[in-house]
Amino acid sequence: MNRLSSVYLFPSATKEARLLSLAAAFLFLYALILTLAPAVRVHSFQTALNWQHWVGFGVWAVGAWWVHRNLKVWLGEHDPYLLPAAALLSGWGLLTVWRLDAMLGWRQTLWLGLGWLILGLGVRWPNVLLWLRRYKYLWLGLGLLLVTLTLLFGTYPGGEGPGLWLGCCGFYFQPAEPLKIFLLIYLAAYLAERLPFSLGLASLIAPTLVVVGIAIALLVIQRDLGTASLTLVLYALVLYLATGRRRVLLLTAGGLLLAAWLGNAAFTLIHQRLVAWWQPWSQAGGVGYQIIQSLIAVAEGGIFGTGPGLGSPSLVPVAHSDFIAVAITEETGLLGLGGLLGLIGVLFIRSLIVAIRAPNLYRRLLAAGLGIYLGGQSALIVGGNLRLFPLTGVTLPFVSYGGSSLVVSYLALLLLLHMSVWEETTPMPLQGIVPFRILGGGFLVVLALLAGLGGWWALARGEVLRNRPDNLRWVVAERFVQRGRLLDRQEQVLVQSEGQPGSYRRVTLYPPLASTLGFIHPRFGKAGLEAGLDGYLRGLEGQPAWEILLARLLFAQPPQGLDVRLTLSLDIQRVADVAMEGKQGALVLLNAQNGEILAMVSQPTYDPNRLDKGWEQWKTDPRSPLLNRATQGQYPPGTALTPFLWALQALPIEQQGQSPQSLVLQTATGRLACASVPSLPVTWSSAAQAGCPWVTVALAQNLGKERLEALWSVLGFGTPLNLPLPVTGAAMPPPEASLEDLLTGESTWYLSPLQMAQALAILQQGQRPEVHLVNAIKTPAQGWIVLPVNSPEKVEIAGRTVNRFADWARSDLPVWMAFGRGINGEKAVAWVLAGTMPSWQGSPLVVVLALEEGTATEGEQIMREVLTAALR
Amino acid sequence: MITGIVVLILRILLAGVLYAFLGWALLVLWRELNLHLQQVAREQVPPITLEVVTRQEGEGQHYEFGEREILVGRHPSCQIVLNDETVSTRHARLRYRDRQWWVEDLRSTNGTYLNEERVITPTVVVSGDTLRCGQALLRIQIQSQE
Repeated sequence: MNRLSSVYLFPSATKEARLLSLAAAFLFLYALILTLAPAVRVHSFQTALNWQHWVGFGVWAVGAWWVHRNLKVWLGEHDPYLLPAAALLSGWGLLTVWRLDAMLGWRQTLWLGLGWLILGLGVRWPNVLLWLRRYKYLWLGLGLLLVTLTLLFGTYPGGEGPGLWLGCCGFYFQPAEPLKIFLLIYLAAYLAERLPFSLGLASLIAPTLVVVGIAIALLVIQRDLGTASLTLVLYALVLYLATGRRRVLLLTAGGLLLAAWLGNAAFTLIHQRLVAWWQPWSQAGGVGYQIIQSLIAVAEGGIFGTGPGLGSPSLVPVAHSDFIAVAITEETGLLGLGGLLGLIGVLFIRSLIVAIRAPNLYRRLLAAGLGIYLGGQSALIVGGNLRLFPLTGVTLPFVSYGGSSLVVSYLALLLLLHMSVWEETTPMPLQGIVPFRILGGGFLVVLALLAGLGGWWALARGEVLRNRPDNLRWVVAERFVQRGRLLDRQEQVLVQSEGQPGSYRRVTLYPPLASTLGFIHPRFGKAGLEAGLDGYLRGLEGQPAWEILLARLLFAQPPQGLDVRLTLSLDIQRVADVAMEGKQGALVLLNAQNGEILAMVSQPTYDPNRLDKGWEQWKTDPRSPLLNRATQGQYPPGTALTPFLWALQALPIEQQGQSPQSLVLQTATGRLACASVPSLPVTWSSAAQAGCPWVTVALAQNLGKERLEALWSVLGFGTPLNLPLPVTGAAMPPPEASLEDLLTGESTWYLSPLQMAQALAILQQGQRPEVHLVNAIKTPAQGWIVLPVNSPEKVEIAGRTVNRFADWARSDLPVWMAFGRGINGEKAVAWVLAGTMPSWQGSPLVVVLALEEGTATEGEQIMREVLTAALR
Repeated sequence: MITGIVVLILRILLAGVLYAFLGWALLVLWRELNLHLQQVAREQVPPITLEVVTRQEGEGQHYEFGEREILVGRHPSCQIVLNDETVSTRHARLRYRDRQWWVEDLRSTNGTYLNEERVITPTVVVSGDTLRCGQALLRIQIQSQE
């Protein structure tokens, strides 16, 4: 006795007490952080704190103290690690369940109380092991019977789901859980009885094969595949420990693979699970959703975690049960995951030690079996969460929400504690230490693998996972951290977040600009500038890196968002929106010199403040109000290209006669008329201004195909615009189209109003400005920072003569104006192009209007109002 | 800011406590695991020598064992096979348990006698004892463990 107990560094009661106080300190801190978590989220103590979960902590602490005292009195010298490790795990699980759902927290607290009661009273009854062994067939029969009853009367307490529970009236339990223990008792007792007299492996295991086969068959019929495979693994490992034959392991591994292969073909459920495991990324919206959300949560946790109560683990489906390890990992990070795995490892290794020290084979196999049950099930579900194994849907012992799981885990703990009691007899000699070495070492390798895998998802793949579109944590961030405002060039507010931390609401103050401003909405996502400028508005761009890191570390939130000042002028915009009201089309007003977009209209539009109600209607509306016509509109240019051709005519076209021979163009499909009525007398100039198709074609032919192609590319049609908005791509004319088709609009060449406006600016200025929409961002440290814009790029346009627009000058405004008409099948679009005259002293402007099914007169009216406002 | 810092400190403490628990438990555990394994595996059975004293021939036959369990009987599977009609098929068992050698009668027909006393329950044997199975005599020598 002295010889062995000298191994211990402390008396076991002292060790247990010390470990339990560390566990209590951990849970106290955890509960304290959960209490303070709401204050952290809103950055102020002036808020409602969480107190409810202290009930859970209280039950835990009182129970732990009571059980510890009972163990000391009734068991004497026993294993001092089992209770603290299990207590810490169950307390951690309890507080996590409270944090996820207070309602479930109350229930779990009751179950934990029951678990403590079983443990505290159970230790007074030392015969329990003998009694279990003596009536092993009774227990086994009872377990199988209950599982069979579930086949007939099984329900799912939560509503729709697999019927694996028995019970009624709010009290349910899962017979598959105790069955595992009954099976272990039967196996240990049977093998201990027969092994010493056995002749061959086959005759030894034949009866157990039948029993385990029946149990597994029952579980498979119930579709409880996780428990079924776990049972098989348990059986194989206990058998391996008992016999020391490695072929048992090989056979089981082969059997599992075969079962997976057959199951894949026979059961859709197994097939889905395997697909979700093997290729979740291609099934992100379907069977892969759960596992991807789980990995995203691990990635969000990083090394240190968000902090208890500060993450969003409830975004993972069934976080409180199957995915509780992930909920813990998100909030305590890899450090927490490592701790969790460490605790599981302690439980497992201690069980093996109890087994090694056991005085007889029954106890040895039972202790090892219980250890394998607790450790193996934990590894199976944590591995499932981290995509090491397919998801099996078993619980994490001691931690997961669930009464049956918790109570059965406590029963296993009770048996282990009983068996760990120090006895005078020496341990039964070990046949060989190899199976124990392999089992213990193998399990530690699996735990290390799990920790490493957690690190892989959190660090190596963390960035990718966090930025996935199905990571919905930004929705939470929007409610708690102020998002930057969008302002016009005079700093008039267009969009802002209103409310208090925790209830911020995005409000668009100027809804007519919706097509450009876009929206940010928990259900419908992000669009427009809200999406394009999300980095600044959310504060993740334009802030120093340490600021972002600090906010993440302290609050698990992005930092305060930055205000963004646009180039748009609300005053002009208002006029343009009023002028365009009721019409269908788009308008772009551009500073031709520096490329600032001053106004951008797309009609019809929507109201971002009423997305909840209007979404379905806007989405199905044939007029597509959600489309930004200014940047994405696909309009056939048609005769709107005439000003470009006219400005390039090097030789006076008048050589071909004072006036064009014709105005209208006869095509295969009909007559194409002028876009507008040419002013009298009809000259080449006035006909070009009016967008008369015959003239357009004549002017183009005069230039020749090669010069035209060079022109399109110089005008920027071949390069996509760079804006924080969805824009149409490069749009060069298809090479096979005939000149006539291109110019008269009967081809598949489409331009957006924005592209047209840029082309006009290039033509008018002879240089290419960088078209932009964002002027400056406001950082807390430096105030407004104007974003750099490339200076305009010189462009050579051979034969460009801007003076040619002199004839088109208006009397009422210092601008020229020209008309065009594009046709695409049944639909026609009226274009109006305008620009300031070279004599204009202010910033040179260009405006492009595309009016669907509109007339030149309507267009001219709109243009005059917009230009009057712009030139004021 | 202050809320975040307070909770950050608490979180650092939390991680510290968790790893204090684990570190301490694992350290003590690891040491104990190794000691246990070594002790259980190292535990040696003191070699036992059995001398078969037959009446017909003067010289005895020596059997030395390092095993924990020795079966005496007429059956060839026994470690000590005694071809004597008064010996049963599986007559007696010598077993090392609790750091002592024990003899146990396996319900033999003619009984097992330790120092001429009938063995009814498992009995401790010491060096120099004589064991009689039926008519066969065995002298027991046990090397003491240092």
